[in-house]
Amino acid sequence: MFSWLMVVPPVTFLLLLVGYPLIYGVWLSLEDRPVARAGTFVGLANFIADARDPVFWQVTINTFVYTIAATILKMVGGLGLALTMNQDFRFKNTIRAAMLLPFIVPTVLSTIAWMWILDPAFAPVNWFLRNLGLADPGPSWLGNAHLAMMSLIIVNVWRGLPFYGITLLAGLQTISPELYEAATIDGASTWDRFIYVTLPLLKPVIFIVTMFSVIFTFADFQLVYVLTRGGPANATHLFATYAFDVAMGGGQLGMGASIALAMLPPLALIIIAMSLYMKPTKS
Amino acid sequence: MANIIRAASRRDVLKISALTSVGGMLGAARANAAPKSMTMMHESSFIPAYDAFFKNTMAPAYEKATGIKIVYETVSVGSLQTRVTTVAETRSGPDLSMLVFNWAFLFDEKLVDVSDLAASIGKKGGGWHDAAAEAVVVNGKWKAIPFGNIGQLMNYRMDWFNEAGVKDFPDTWDGLLEAGIKLKKAGHPFGFELGHGFGDNHGWLYPLLWSYGGRETEPDGKTIAIDSAETARAIDFCREFFQKTMFEDVLGWTDVSNNKAFLSEQISCTNNAESILYIAKRDFPEIGKVTGQAQNPKGPGGKRFHMLNPLTHGIFSHTPDVQAAKDFLSWVMDPKQAGPWYDIAVSYYAPYLHMFDDAPFWHVEPRNLPYRDSLTTSHLPGWPAPISRAQSESVAKYVVVDMFAKACAGKSTKVVIADAAAQLKQIFKPG
Amino acid sequence: MMVERGGWRVRGLRLWLPLGAYMIFTLFPFYWMAVTSLKPNNELYNRKIMPLIVYHPTLKHYADLLSETNFLVWTWNTFLVAAVSTTISLVFGTMLAYPLARMRFAGSALISFGVASTYLVPQPLLFIPLADIITSLGLNDTLTSVILTYPTLLIPFCAWLLMGYFRSVPGELEDAARIDGATRLQTMFKVFLPLCTPGFISAGIFAFTLAQNEFLYALIFLTQTDVRTVPVGAIAELVKGDVFYWGQLMAAALLGSVPVAIIYSFFVEHYVAGLTAGAVKQ
Repeated sequence: MFSWLMVVPPVTFLLLLVGYPLIYGVWLSLEDRPVARAGTFVGLANFIADARDPVFWQVTINTFVYTIAATILKMVGGLGLALTMNQDFRFKNTIRAAMLLPFIVPTVLSTIAWMWILDPAFAPVNWFLRNLGLADPGPSWLGNAHLAMMSLIIVNVWRGLPFYGITLLAGLQTISPELYEAATIDGASTWDRFIYVTLPLLKPVIFIVTMFSVIFTFADFQLVYVLTRGGPANATHLFATYAFDVAMGGGQLGMGASIALAMLPPLALIIIAMSLYMKPTKS
Repeated sequence: MANIIRAASRRDVLKISALTSVGGMLGAARANAAPKSMTMMHESSFIPAYDAFFKNTMAPAYEKATGIKIVYETVSVGSLQTRVTTVAETRSGPDLSMLVFNWAFLFDEKLVDVSDLAASIGKKGGGWHDAAAEAVVVNGKWKAIPFGNIGQLMNYRMDWFNEAGVKDFPDTWDGLLEAGIKLKKAGHPFGFELGHGFGDNHGWLYPLLWSYGGRETEPDGKTIAIDSAETARAIDFCREFFQKTMFEDVLGWTDVSNNKAFLSEQISCTNNAESILYIAKRDFPEIGKVTGQAQNPKGPGGKRFHMLNPLTHGIFSHTPDVQAAKDFLSWVMDPKQAGPWYDIAVSYYAPYLHMFDDAPFWHVEPRNLPYRDSLTTSHLPGWPAPISRAQSESVAKYVVVDMFAKACAGKSTKVVIADAAAQLKQIFKPG
Repeated sequence: MMVERGGWRVRGLRLWLPLGAYMIFTLFPFYWMAVTSLKPNNELYNRKIMPLIVYHPTLKHYADLLSETNFLVWTWNTFLVAAVSTTISLVFGTMLAYPLARMRFAGSALISFGVASTYLVPQPLLFIPLADIITSLGLNDTLTSVILTYPTLLIPFCAWLLMGYFRSVPGELEDAARIDGATRLQTMFKVFLPLCTPGFISAGIFAFTLAQNEFLYALIFLTQTDVRTVPVGAIAELVKGDVFYWGQLMAAALLGSVPVAIIYSFFVEHYVAGLTAGAVKQ
């Protein structure tokens, strides 16, 4: 009873504001629906058209590469960062706050700074290569299909790492020091303590942060939209940007919705996995 | 007199509203008194004085004359379509909006037919250029009032071209390639966008395709025509042009990139609207002095083409008082108002009305004259087919741009044409 | 705190080396922003000179930003919107997380799935029906419109993150309190929630940041310059066609983020202290 009293207001709120859009989105994807015109029901025709669209499959691969690479880097880096930050050192709070900066600054604006940092005419790497006479203009960070994907992943990691760091740090702080003391008395090495004390206790937080990070990275939009808008030749198009281009630019709301909803099955799997993992253990 | 006209047309409004919706009826009922205010949505112009003139001079003047307050909402150009889509879909928000590209077509069901207005404005303004109709006439009806064309021209460094022994801007693509080879050797490569920007990519790639005789579809707008010897020649040219005059980064450029590259003296030639020259004159006077603008080169058939980039004003059908909105647009387009507004932007917006063909502002900056002259050879993407939904989808999916870009990145002409043809077949599906 | 042993070598390897590398990676773009915001245009565009040095620093971009745009108004709007929607999200998030993490009841798995599935709705399309709702409520061009919609993006994550933290708190503490005669609600407020301060702070930081970064809803719902937030205001008024006002954009990026980082630094300090205190009590 107590549980229900607590749960009902937020659930109602979400249902009201998200329920209708979700149904609307699903409905759209089943329609041939030009912008500003009435739609006609076409069943799964949009999804069939997507399946035959080579760009759609390229976008699918891009999105997976982007998500997997960025998530692994953020998870490993974030854990390392949290462990490093969990030590006692001077200017701890200042550094912890500075560490958050990439996450704080509005993405659209920080990405504009990256436009310069990744421009071969101004990028520091290229500047040194050029002035040492090694290469001119040097690597094209956004013009080369592979480098462009790599650059986007780096910017994503840059932006996302602080959040992993701070969240896992908070997780580390909830681990009672007594546990470490006990382990030390038992003769455990630093590595043992990490494996047998830190990791198991941190697991729920790592799991949740990673899963949500996967969801957000998978559906990433702003970063790509500012830096490359999917270029060169679709090499960096993701589901969200492609769906947006087709729906907004092309005025094909139905097809855009079908591309966006193609994200649903993989994301749903992740969420089901989370739900199973997080089943309550205490009564 | 004006009152009689308004009364008569208000009856039409009521008729239309009764047909559309209850909401529309309420709107019309409210319209018995002139509205207190109307909102016009606009991209934020890169010429700050242009927006300021509307906000600080025109809007107050209109309020003084009619008592109707005009709210001027600025949106960044990349966000405008999202806003217009939302407004059209939810049928609420601004009464009028700036439209570009083929939006008069995309949103036509949510736009008021302004044919009568266009006729009277055209009469007063010495007639419309042909390009005006291509931009806004949908099923025989004018769905927006063309204001100006934001043309795309060749922007080049006159001093460097001279140093390389190229006295006049080349008249053909082959000539430009030759010049580019010399200039790249001299350390001044070209930089034409081949990435996923909004306009600077389409701005030269469609004209290139057309001038080689290539096209996406036949004039019927159904038969896919991309797989042709002409397209292949255009692609082969583009690949060579890219390899011999440019550098890899252009493949990932967006619209801002070539402005940045030109103003940082990295490139000696690009295709862009007037913003480069304008900013150069304002912030980099030395570069401004040596920046030239020229029409696009001719293809092997001896024809040149340009991108039609119409800036038009449309009235949303949800506006409570259609006549008030029309009156306002008519007032804006009156030479007394439109003239000074064009003046402020010094020919950035090339008018579609013949009366401005030799307006004084053209002579303020003679280097802009090619914008006026390019209007007769300007077309929307998808030409020679009429504008269509499939066409917008093709542009949004960058079919033509990516066809060229992939060839430049090393794919064979055959493969990239086959890719584009397959995509177009799916986009222009029958029915 | 972890017990540290070993000399400065170990410490250098374990602390300062990774920390230094990370700080360079993190702060380099900020250095770039700072440099860009201080350069006059002719220097910014000069690729012959070393890009990391400012030769003739100027505050012109800052002056222009503050005098020609409504930047201070945008900053205030952003702060207000982020603060209120964060509060809403934390309250609702807790209301969801506590029962879901600590109690077994029918339908709990379904609810936790349902809450997270909010994210299955693709945002790039969601805004059209949401705009419908906002319009019918008459909330266009009010900060309420985004205060109301942002929690839909924030609640699921807050709820799940809090569930994670809640679960890591030992149940014996609550049991002890219950045995001492405290009610469920008392136990929750007096014993349980204070222990989870770090969780609240990291969820709060997340929510606040996401709210102040959000672009799409703000773009759609806030169209007048005096109700805009920083990202939308800056992009709408400093990106003009293919001309970017780089210096002012970078000034906006810095002015919009550094103060927030300073505010966060107080929280960060607080949660470290609060937490160790809680653990010691135990």
